[in-house]
Amino acid sequence: METDESIDQLRTDLLKAQITLSNINLLQASKWCAEAINGLSNASNITQIPTLEFDPYDLQDYSRFILAKSYFDVKEFDRCAHSLVGCKSGNAVFLKLYSKILSLDKKMAEENDGSDLNSKLSKIIQEIESFNSSSNPNHFLYYLLGIIYNKKRNYKLAQRNLLAALKLFPYNWSCWQELINSIIDFDEAMELLNKVKSSKSSLNPSIMFNFFEVVLLQEFYQQSVDVNQTLEKLLSIFPNFNFLKIQKFLICYHSLDYYQAESIFDQILEDDPLRIDDLDTYSNMLYVMEKKSKLSFLAQYSSNIDKFKPETCCIIANYHSMKGEHEKAIMYYKRALILNKNSLSAWTLMGHEFVELKNSHAAIESYRRAVDINPKDFRAWYGLGQAYEVLDMHLYSLYYYQRATNLQPTDKRMWQAIGNCYEKIGKFDESLKSFKKALSIDNTNKPQESHGSYDPYICYKLASIYEKIASVKECYKYMKLCFDQELDWGITDETSKARLWLARYALELKKYEEAYELTKDLNHNNAHDIEEARAIAREARNRMNK
Amino acid sequence: MPQPQKTPSQHNSTLYISPLVNNRQNEVFVTPPNPAAKIFGSPGSENTTSFFNVDRNVTNNGNQSKDSQPLSQAEKLRLWRHDALMQHQYKTAEFIGDKVLALTSDPNDAFWLAQVYFSSGNYLRAKSLLMSKPEFEKSVSCRYLAAFCLIKLELWDDALDLIGESNPFRRDEQYQIRNSDGGIKLESSMCYLRGLIFANQNNFDKAKEAYKEAVFVDVKCFEAFNELITNNLMTPSEEWEFITQLNYSDADNNDELVKLLYSSRLSKYFNVHKFDEAETILKQDYDLGDNTDILLARADYLYVQCNFDECLSVCERVLSKDQYNFSILPNYLSCLHELGGKNKLFLKAHQLAESHPTDAMTWLAIGVYYLSINKIIEARRFFSKATLLNPNFGQAWIGFAHTFAAEGEHEQAISAYAFAARLFPGTHLPNLFLGMQHLLMDNLNLAEEYLSTSYQICNTDPLLLNELGVIHFHKNDLVRAEAFFKEALTASKNLNSDSQTWICLHANLGHVYRKANELHRALECYNQVLRISDKNDTNLLASIGLVYLKLGNHLKSISFLHDALAISPSDPVATDLLKRALSSNQHYSKPFFDSASNKIRTMRANSISTTSPSMEPQKNDDLEDVGDIARSLKMGEVSSDEDEEVMDIESD
Repeated sequence: METDESIDQLRTDLLKAQITLSNINLLQASKWCAEAINGLSNASNITQIPTLEFDPYDLQDYSRFILAKSYFDVKEFDRCAHSLVGCKSGNAVFLKLYSKILSLDKKMAEENDGSDLNSKLSKIIQEIESFNSSSNPNHFLYYLLGIIYNKKRNYKLAQRNLLAALKLFPYNWSCWQELINSIIDFDEAMELLNKVKSSKSSLNPSIMFNFFEVVLLQEFYQQSVDVNQTLEKLLSIFPNFNFLKIQKFLICYHSLDYYQAESIFDQILEDDPLRIDDLDTYSNMLYVMEKKSKLSFLAQYSSNIDKFKPETCCIIANYHSMKGEHEKAIMYYKRALILNKNSLSAWTLMGHEFVELKNSHAAIESYRRAVDINPKDFRAWYGLGQAYEVLDMHLYSLYYYQRATNLQPTDKRMWQAIGNCYEKIGKFDESLKSFKKALSIDNTNKPQESHGSYDPYICYKLASIYEKIASVKECYKYMKLCFDQELDWGITDETSKARLWLARYALELKKYEEAYELTKDLNHNNAHDIEEARAIAREARNRMNK
Repeated sequence: MPQPQKTPSQHNSTLYISPLVNNRQNEVFVTPPNPAAKIFGSPGSENTTSFFNVDRNVTNNGNQSKDSQPLSQAEKLRLWRHDALMQHQYKTAEFIGDKVLALTSDPNDAFWLAQVYFSSGNYLRAKSLLMSKPEFEKSVSCRYLAAFCLIKLELWDDALDLIGESNPFRRDEQYQIRNSDGGIKLESSMCYLRGLIFANQNNFDKAKEAYKEAVFVDVKCFEAFNELITNNLMTPSEEWEFITQLNYSDADNNDELVKLLYSSRLSKYFNVHKFDEAETILKQDYDLGDNTDILLARADYLYVQCNFDECLSVCERVLSKDQYNFSILPNYLSCLHELGGKNKLFLKAHQLAESHPTDAMTWLAIGVYYLSINKIIEARRFFSKATLLNPNFGQAWIGFAHTFAAEGEHEQAISAYAFAARLFPGTHLPNLFLGMQHLLMDNLNLAEEYLSTSYQICNTDPLLLNELGVIHFHKNDLVRAEAFFKEALTASKNLNSDSQTWICLHANLGHVYRKANELHRALECYNQVLRISDKNDTNLLASIGLVYLKLGNHLKSISFLHDALAISPSDPVATDLLKRALSSNQHYSKPFFDSASNKIRTMRANSISTTSPSMEPQKNDDLEDVGDIARSLKMGEVSSDEDEEVMDIESD
């Protein structure tokens, strides 16, 4: 538990950071900071407001800087950049280049061919590098470099610059967020976390690093004790910080604990009723929970707040999708994407809608855009795999399933998909390996059931592959295993098929009694199977009677 | 004494017979007429009506000093004639000059009368006057002007007959007479005329020699120097050698200045530090930092370094001082073309078309504009118009050739480049372009021949070294290719590192390493490129994909190939590679399973729900993995045998 003094110190730091950030027009980061300040316990406990510090260069550029700032505020980015040409202070250079990038971004979105605009980024890189190598480096410029390298998908360099920025100024949440975006692999994430933790850098025992750790692990769908502990610790310092509650919500959502997640979000909505951020994720969950009325209420509610927010559009799209109106849903997703082309889930969800409409090519296109924006989204990778599977391009789908599995190796669905794929392209060994993996994951995820429960579908799959490669012994083992699941899972298609197979096998081995026992009350599957079962039963009985 | 004007010798200039100078007092004659501080003001800048400000001195001195002779009648008429000429009142000058000549029948008066005709554009009349009497023909100045008239009339052979094929006054090297009057020696000017004639007869070797002689005889003959430099008659190393051999003492106490000014004009591929030195001295000691010619030299330098942004800003500075400065325009136009400044090109072309409709530069500008907006056919039409207006206009010829190259019409491009190569023997560019065209047509031997010719002219241009590397790459001589690329990289040390050339060099070096199977070094090079360049080079991404494929990292390989195909979806090389990567991905499942097992282990390690039993199935896996290794060893590398040629040619 933190002492009051340390909280006061934290408050002062955050206040100062907030002023710095809003001075330089990093609006999202400053919003985050202000929310954090208000999320602290007894938030009104402010004794003194810190002021900005200026170095001589800042003072020299000050008049032009405020001019540029006001241009920035009215969104005249090019004019802002131009009014700062020749300024020497780091902040002025940052604002100049930042507004340049914003204007480039805008133009690229408007003109749809950013080919020659793109080359301007490298000039910005050079300017930053020469500035940071000459005089005292500016942490905002490192942050900017990180953004650019992320755009160019040069993640290594991006991380290096972002970390450099954070060491100088840890309170820039946008910078942390950018760092999270630059990490696309779970191994990489762990490596980074361990490196920072073991190093003696200023970042290690800091509140901001804790925030980072929680969000990073949350985005990789982790639900470990550590994450929860860190989160609780943060919540004790920031009891009213909705950002943290959202993280908690997301963790619950990822661990499929929908009811808890729902209650957390309801609480957030009560605290801050006009908050639209992350509302779309909430609607996704309601969709999965099939809470139709709540979802339609949410759609109405959010469109009353602001119709033209990408989140609102996603919610409405979810609503239409739930009603089976896939075209309308797609229209709304498209609208969300016009409003924000980097809308994370919209591309993936639109892909799902196209799959519903059996338009595989459009689905592939959407999923592809989704993984372009967020390579951590395993659902999109999985979707790509499925779409290619429909098109009978198994090599492609194998690759995409592999990507998905890399992100989500403890999800048996991934391994099943990979196993199927390997089977289709005739790689039975690999296929067996994948299915076994799926089985072992499935098993370890439910330790409480002591005797071990196996998904009969997977068992049947394994058995049938062993049958294909004529390994009767193994085949028998898995058929048996599959059949045994009838106790836990009830009678399913697979167990019945296994039962039939076992009966046939017993017949071959002349174990007529066993065959008869197995087939006598099989009446689950299709007519053909039932017919066969009856035939086997009849034959077995005949032989027994002989 | 009523001295008749002496006929000048070849060591004099026409100043000697100028009526003003002729009457100058001795002290005026010795010291420069202007105060030392104002040596850079043009003569007569303080005097609006007359040619040299000396003439005020003359009248003053004439009135004040008692021992000066009173002017004769003829001399007064001469002054009248001269002032009329200077005020461009040709009728007066003609009228009076004719009378003076009639009075004196002095060859010098004939010269001045002819000068009047010449100035009013009446070359034929000037020529016939100058050749009307044998004594006129004997005068060096008259002969010079007569030859010039013939040149203006484009009667090249006659002009050459008149002044002779070689310099009749040539002596041994040591013997140098300083001319006393500070003007340009007529001997030198005659050499210059000879150069002009040879150049127009397409005899560039002789022209070069004549121009060089002109500058040797009198370093002040800038006309000849300018012809040498702007037409690139000498190779860069020749230029630097030439400039050290000149005799600057002719320029008197301006020798240092002239030397610096001349060196700032030379090729920027060579001796960069000397250029920098000259520039700084000119800026600091002579305060010429804002002078157009110094800025022009700066712009040339920046252009060669591919620093187009800076170059453009220098050009704009020059144009804001002097918007009709034509010598900066080629640089300005190329910069705008490189940087995609279509709108400014449009404006400039229109301005030029309004102000100078008959100048070749105008049509060059229009051609460049059309080239920028990718209208090749129109661009070609305007380039060819520019070459019609000025057949020796190299930039226009090269632009003309580029239009063919852009449309892939190699044969025609080659013939146009070849013409440019003939016009500019001292620059390596046309030969370089020729080599590139042959390379595109897969004529490796011819291409190498041209490129090595080009290499002999200039061996420090990174672009050229790059092409040589490409040739050796295609010939599978990887060692030499690598050597050339590395040489190019050292040559491009001070090149702007985001320029296309720099990027292309790194990419090509990467290709060499890739082919030589030094995969990690190849990746290093490619990463350099990725860091700087924009992300839309299919070729590069496909190559990276290939390298990863060879390294056995299929997932990465596939993802790079996908990126490549996202840029150009129908790229055959990338498609083919992707197919191979995907199909070999199915064989190499081991790394995938391994990394997945590792991941599961780490995730388990910090997850709540599970404890140790998860290790059990792992053991099983490991056993199978051994089998995998054995199998993959048996299969060997599938993909590395026949890799596609993914080498890109950078044409500039």
